[in-house]
Amino acid sequence: MQPIDCHECGTAVLVEKFSVPHTSIQWLGDSTSACPRIAQANANGEGGLCGTTGLSCSSLRDTIDEAVRQGRIEIDGRMEPVIGQLG
Amino acid sequence: MTTEMTAQKDVVEIDLDDSDEVRLIESGKNPTRYARGWHCLGLAKTFRDGKPHSIEVFGTKIVVWADTTGKLNALDAYCRHMGGDLSQGLVKGDEISCPFHDWRWGGDGKCKAVPYAQRVPMRARTARWETMEQNDLFFIWNDPQGNPPPADITIPEIPGYGTDQWSEWTWNTFVVEGSNCREIVDNVVDMAHFFYVHYQMPQFFKNIFEGHVAAQHMRSTGREDIKTGVQFDLPDSETISDAAYYGPSFMLDTVYTVAGDTTVETKLVNCHYPISPDSFVLQFGTSVKTVDGVTPEKAAEMAALFTEGVETQFKQDVAIWKHKTRIENPLLTAEDGPVYQLRRWYEQFYVDVEDITEDMVARFEFEVDTTKALESWAVEVQENMEKAAAAAE
Repeated sequence: MQPIDCHECGTAVLVEKFSVPHTSIQWLGDSTSACPRIAQANANGEGGLCGTTGLSCSSLRDTIDEAVRQGRIEIDGRMEPVIGQLG
Repeated sequence: MTTEMTAQKDVVEIDLDDSDEVRLIESGKNPTRYARGWHCLGLAKTFRDGKPHSIEVFGTKIVVWADTTGKLNALDAYCRHMGGDLSQGLVKGDEISCPFHDWRWGGDGKCKAVPYAQRVPMRARTARWETMEQNDLFFIWNDPQGNPPPADITIPEIPGYGTDQWSEWTWNTFVVEGSNCREIVDNVVDMAHFFYVHYQMPQFFKNIFEGHVAAQHMRSTGREDIKTGVQFDLPDSETISDAAYYGPSFMLDTVYTVAGDTTVETKLVNCHYPISPDSFVLQFGTSVKTVDGVTPEKAAEMAALFTEGVETQFKQDVAIWKHKTRIENPLLTAEDGPVYQLRRWYEQFYVDVEDITEDMVARFEFEVDTTKALESWAVEVQENMEKAAAAAE
C-alpha cells in the first residue's frame, strides 16, 4: 500500500488501487480523531450508518483520485499476503 | 502498528507465468475457543413460555428461562450437585429446578435452596451468561476470559421497533453441521458469490471494517434469468443494502428495495451461534416497515415473501459450506473482496482482549471494481434468457 495525505486535513492513510474503480484504504489510527469530516458526521449523529461512518470521506476520495490522475499513486495488481503477516 | 501495513517485504507478487507449480490449499484448523461477543439465541418471546430451554452452544449446554419478572436468564445446564440437566427441569418461581434432586438455581448463578437439606453447601455457584434483549431478540455474552460486556460493544436498537411501524420478525433457524462459523462471516466480503449463489447482481460493493463492526454496502439488482422473493416481485427493482456485523456473530442489514416510486424498507437479521468448532446454528429474520402506505398486513405478507427469498439464498450457502474445505490461503483476483483483511478483523474476537492489535480494529475500506463482473454477467444472463425462450417455444 502507498502512503497519501488528505489534501484537506493532512491525515495520512495507506491506499491501494487495483484499477480506477477499485480503492482500498487502510487508516492508521483512530479515524474519528484523525478526520474532521468523520468527526463531524459522528458529532451530528450521522455516523451511525452501520457504525462505520457512512461510506467514506469525500475529501480523501478526491485526494486519491487526483493522485491517481497525476500518477503519484500507481495502479497495480493484487499482492498476495503471506499468511500470518496479514492473516 | 504501521510497520506491518507499510512493509512491502511481507507480500509477494503473483507470478502469472509460474504455471508449473500446483497451488496447495492450506486448510488450517478450526479454532478451539469461541468468539468473544454478543450472540443472539433467537426471539425473546420464545423463551417466555414458562419452560426451561435447552441450548447447545459454545461446546456446552445451557438452560434459558424467564423468572417471575420476565427477565431471561442463562446458566450452564449441568447442575453442580450431581450433573443433572437443568434444562430438563422445571421453572419454580424465579429459579430453575434440577430434575434430579430439585436443587434451585437463580439467574445470578447461585444455588438458592436445596429443599431436602439443612443448608446450601459452600461454593454452590454455577456458570452464568450475561443476557440482553434488543429489538425483541435475546442475546448472551460470551467471553472466554470471563469479563463483562463493555458498554460500547452492543447491538444497535432499531428505531421504532416494537411499535406497529415494523412487522413482527419472521424467524428461521438452520443447524449447519460440518462447518466452522467463519464460513458465513467470509460472505461479508464475497462480492461474486452474490451472483452465483444468491442470484443478485452487485452494481456497487464496498466494505468498511472499524472496531468491532464490519460493514458491507451493496447496491444490486436481481438477475433477469433467475428471480427470487428478495425482489418482492417488483419489476426492475434495485436493492440498497447496508449491512454490518456488530461483533463476531450478529449482522443487521437495512435493505431498501426501490422500484419506480415504491420503496420498501426491510430489516434483515443474519446471525449465528457456534455449537462446536465444526457446527453452528444459523438464524435469520426479517421485518418490513409499515409506514409510507404499507399496511401491517401488507408488511407481514412482504416479510414472508422476502424471508422465502432469503431462505432459498441461505440454503444455497449451506450447500456450498457442506461440501467445501476450510481454506486459509484463498487465491484472489483483483475483483474479489478483502478476505484476508476481514479475517484479520474477525481474529480480534478469538484473542484475549489485551492481545487485540491495532491492525485488527483500525478502519479499513475496500471498494470492489464490479465493471468486468457486470459485463460478463450481462452476457451470461442474456444467454440464459435466450435458452429459456428457445426451450419454451
